[in-house]
Amino acid sequence: MAQILVMPKYGQTVEESTIVKWRVKEGDAVHKGDIVFEIETDKATMEVESFFEGTLLKILVGEGQTVPVTSPVAFIGKPGEALPDLAARPKPEAAPVPAKAAVAGPASTEARVPAQSGTSAVSIPSSAPSLPPAPPTAKRLFASPRARVMAKNSALDISRMPGTGPGGRIIEKDVLAFMEKNQVTAIKITPAAKQKAIHKGVDILTVRPSGDGGRITESDIDRALEERPKVMSKMRQIIAERLTRSATTIPHFYVTVAVDMTDLLSLRKRLKEAGKAYTVTDFILESVVLTLGEKPAFNSSTDGKSTRWNSSVNLGMAVSLEQGLVVPVIREADRLTLKELHEAAQALALKAREGKLRPDEMSGSTFTISNMGMLNVENFTAIINPGESAILAVSSTFPTPVVRDGKLVARDIMKITLSSDHRIIDGAQAAGFANAIKAKLEDMELWKSLT
Amino acid sequence: MPNYLSNLKPNFTPGSISLGKIAKFQYALTLKDELAAKTITRQESIDLLEDMLVIREFEEMIVKLRSGAYDPCAGFNYRGPTHVSIGQEGSSVGGCFGIAGDDFITSTHRGHGDSIAKGCVAIRAMSDERLKSRIPGIKTTSRGELVEAALEDHIYRTAAELFGKEAGYCLGRGGGMHIADFTAGHLGANAIVGGGVPIATGAAVANRYLKNGKVVLCFAGDGAYANGVVLESLNWAAMDQFTNHLAKDHKFGTPVIFAILNNHYGMTHRTEDEVMGIHTMARRAAGFADNNMHAEVVNGMNVLAVRDAVRRAAAGCRDGKGPYLVELSCYRYYGHSLSDPRNEYRLKEEEEAWKAVDPIRTFKDELVAAGVMTAASLEALETKVRDRNARASARAAASPDPVAEDVIKFMYTDTSAEIVPEAYQNAPIVKKEPVIKRQDGQLTYKDAIKEALIEEMKRDARVVLYGEDVADYGGAFKVTKDLLEAFGRDRVYNSPISEAAICGTAVGGAMAGTRPIVELMYMDFALMASDQISNQAAKWHYMSGAKVEVPLVIRASVGGGKGYGGQHSQTLESMFAHIPGLYVVYPATPYDAKGMLKTAIRDNNPIMFVESQLLYPMKGAVPETEYLIPLGLADVKREGKDLTIVAWGPAVWDALKAADLLAKDNVSVEVVDLRSLVPLDMETVLRSVKKTGRCVVASQCIDIGSFTGEIASRIMMEAFDYLDAPVMRVGSKNGIAPQSHILEAAFLPNEKDIVAAARRIL
Repeated sequence: MAQILVMPKYGQTVEESTIVKWRVKEGDAVHKGDIVFEIETDKATMEVESFFEGTLLKILVGEGQTVPVTSPVAFIGKPGEALPDLAARPKPEAAPVPAKAAVAGPASTEARVPAQSGTSAVSIPSSAPSLPPAPPTAKRLFASPRARVMAKNSALDISRMPGTGPGGRIIEKDVLAFMEKNQVTAIKITPAAKQKAIHKGVDILTVRPSGDGGRITESDIDRALEERPKVMSKMRQIIAERLTRSATTIPHFYVTVAVDMTDLLSLRKRLKEAGKAYTVTDFILESVVLTLGEKPAFNSSTDGKSTRWNSSVNLGMAVSLEQGLVVPVIREADRLTLKELHEAAQALALKAREGKLRPDEMSGSTFTISNMGMLNVENFTAIINPGESAILAVSSTFPTPVVRDGKLVARDIMKITLSSDHRIIDGAQAAGFANAIKAKLEDMELWKSLT
Repeated sequence: MPNYLSNLKPNFTPGSISLGKIAKFQYALTLKDELAAKTITRQESIDLLEDMLVIREFEEMIVKLRSGAYDPCAGFNYRGPTHVSIGQEGSSVGGCFGIAGDDFITSTHRGHGDSIAKGCVAIRAMSDERLKSRIPGIKTTSRGELVEAALEDHIYRTAAELFGKEAGYCLGRGGGMHIADFTAGHLGANAIVGGGVPIATGAAVANRYLKNGKVVLCFAGDGAYANGVVLESLNWAAMDQFTNHLAKDHKFGTPVIFAILNNHYGMTHRTEDEVMGIHTMARRAAGFADNNMHAEVVNGMNVLAVRDAVRRAAAGCRDGKGPYLVELSCYRYYGHSLSDPRNEYRLKEEEEAWKAVDPIRTFKDELVAAGVMTAASLEALETKVRDRNARASARAAASPDPVAEDVIKFMYTDTSAEIVPEAYQNAPIVKKEPVIKRQDGQLTYKDAIKEALIEEMKRDARVVLYGEDVADYGGAFKVTKDLLEAFGRDRVYNSPISEAAICGTAVGGAMAGTRPIVELMYMDFALMASDQISNQAAKWHYMSGAKVEVPLVIRASVGGGKGYGGQHSQTLESMFAHIPGLYVVYPATPYDAKGMLKTAIRDNNPIMFVESQLLYPMKGAVPETEYLIPLGLADVKREGKDLTIVAWGPAVWDALKAADLLAKDNVSVEVVDLRSLVPLDMETVLRSVKKTGRCVVASQCIDIGSFTGEIASRIMMEAFDYLDAPVMRVGSKNGIAPQSHILEAAFLPNEKDIVAAARRIL
């Protein structure tokens, strides 16, 4: 019976693809592994090879035509054999097709094959909705209670043992065979270590002995326990989830500028002497607020289809705590004076360190600043907070030799790196934004007017 | 030479049968007459009234308690049945005054009156020493004060039993419907209608055998006289062999008086013109004895008439003229229980008419008329009774409840007849001792059982043996052949085909001092006797608060494997293992059969001793020297290390064959013969399973509900971590034993089924 060639589903979210070129003609011999046709997805062009041997009997989808993935595109079989009745074929399913390149794209569930000409004998079904693949089910371990107890009492991990009982059940015999194969009885272990291994479920085959003559001691078991994976705190898990989502779904790019902080640091010193204490952060915050007012794309977000601008500037300040990272948010920072900004930032930072931030004080930011100025870093990049379009990474300020008016002079240089979401921000915009901040931080007239 | 050969010739001579006459309401005396004739004393007549008053007051307390109106027990919540007998006091008291203090009674679910009356009569007849032993700590030496204290204690223990208290006669385990006081000759009220009648009969047959001169007064209602076991019992008590030539020099009729408490209702149905075709209960007697059991109908509302009739019957019983039957026509003023409003089935006018002949009121009149009492002394007696009942009941209500942890205490007794009283040691051999021949030290399973029976019957003369065709014929399977010749018909006799009465009389016999062994020809027939086995034999030790032991052995043989079909082939031990209070054992070898039967006969628990007809001819080594095998001890019949097969009965042999087959594949099988289902030796089973890690449980029971499931579940619960595979069960198919040999072979489990089950887990 003739085999059906289908439009491959090369990416999880690929819905439809276009045949660009047929490499073989009807009547040509096709061998397993031969490139049969080329397709174009929304992002890439790629080659499709045959899994079948035979003759290309019939092409169903011509060059230039677009069909849903998994739709039949041709038949391969013996010359002269009857073509299969496609109506009787189960609907194409979203079963994973060997992927060469995963291409991201929005998923839609409705797609229809364009009407075909010259293929009156076959009807082309519409594609089925593409479903996410079922998560791999955790494989249940079948072992007899006796085998389990024996493995446990021998301080061995039963899941590593092959089962030969009914239905592949691990039985006593398998544990004994495993023990013999691994010469478990030859393992030297102190009684206390053995008890601890049994009690804590440590597989002694995985423990590196450190005792005399290769004996496993209690401290070896303790070390093995230390090496065990540990569950992250809920907070850490949320951080992990959000950062992973950002790093994998937002196309980041980075722009770094060097800011000359020499004059601002002098001004800050003078202001402090005059009783007006501002932090470097305050100036950076204010510079960002002002710049966001000028360049609204940086106070926006996108879902890949639309953009959304926020009229208020809610400024997130990443604060590192022992238990993880928190980002308290200064609400409507654009309405605050420098002094008010200073006070708000101080208050939030204190609350964060004391662990007293309320949930609404940690949400709703529209732009985030991550400041590692006090941590002695030359430069770093930050990952965009999901729901925002950029983040500013502020590094430490170092006395740096720079050329000024043709002369090599020492200046206090601070590098700032802007991470931007390339879906809505392009390079030039980012460069403009970064330089606008730089310009403000170096503009002493501005600060004199604001302080 | 056979003991007795029948020579019944055809006799079709025309004629008619006369059923004779049954007297009714012949008593015409007054108290004055009886006093004059010295057939009663003045004190006795006052006692009659006092006991009726005690009952009336006691039962009115129950009525009041249910509406919170009994002041002496204010605040006490009475939970339990309310089957009051108010109106029947004349029958209860008259009946108990008609027998002696140490005679027996059995009673019914409506038995407060019987129990109180029996206790009062017994107490007045007791020696000072016995009275003192009933009331710990009593100081007085005055006979009057002792009796008075004992009567109050009697009411206290009766009330405490109804209230479910530890101070009750049955330690609160029985309650009002199962109240019993064996120290006063009360063998138990019975909440199974008619259930006590075979017990009374069996106790009377025991009295007959023990020649103790005791009579059994069997109270049962008119409703009970439609029940099969009651009719079986009437027939049993009147058996010719107790009085004719077969009895030789012990021609003595069963000393039992069947006292029908005819209150005219079985719960709510009328017996006389609705569910029966006779209008006089006494007619029942005519169907069972040519002398109509001396039956008469008595006015049960007249305490003197009842006393007179029962006295005459008791005297006749002691003369060996039993059984007797008296119908006591009486009336219960209340309904079946307090939840019965009566107006659905009878008229107010009817109740009024009976109340007009109230036994207490009419007897008060007699006492006054006879000059025994005056209005003032009557009132004083009533006040005394009321106050005494109030004190006793209040004390009972306030007495301690049983401890919850003791909920299943008293299920079994751990005693046995280790020492035989001198009077019963070395029982005489009547004719000749049967000889059982060994071949190479071997006996058949059947002869092993027979040898155990002979040895134990010789050891203890209280052991008696009966069942269908066990005497001259030696039993359907010849297990008891020659035992009649050895021990005589008083100890080995044929029973009628009355399985319920076979087991029920054994219960009564056990209560009255004998140690019956009864044979059920096929285990299937045990279902005919299931009430007597399950509700009577199994329950009385517990329900009496361990006040009575029921030492009896029911030998039941399984007929499976012979092509006898659905009603003669069942293996039913799983059903009886589900009945608490009963021991269930099933030996598989001649050695075990003998050793376990001897133990069973000496044990003081009721024991279902299961035998297999398939195993009867099987030979095995049985030592000639005496040995006993404890019940509840499994036996490792073969040692092994890879797989345990737990089995019992014939399945043990299948298990051993399966072990041989598996050994060919180097599978080492351990066979554990359970031997006893109750008590159960899980220790041996678990020890084996812990060693092997695998278990098949096999028996001939059909799989559904089989005890194999109990074993499997216990292994799962108690040795889960030692299991290398699920526990498998092998039994008969879930069906009915077929006649066809082809089908029966498919129906019964065999060694191949066990091997197949084993292979699935190896």
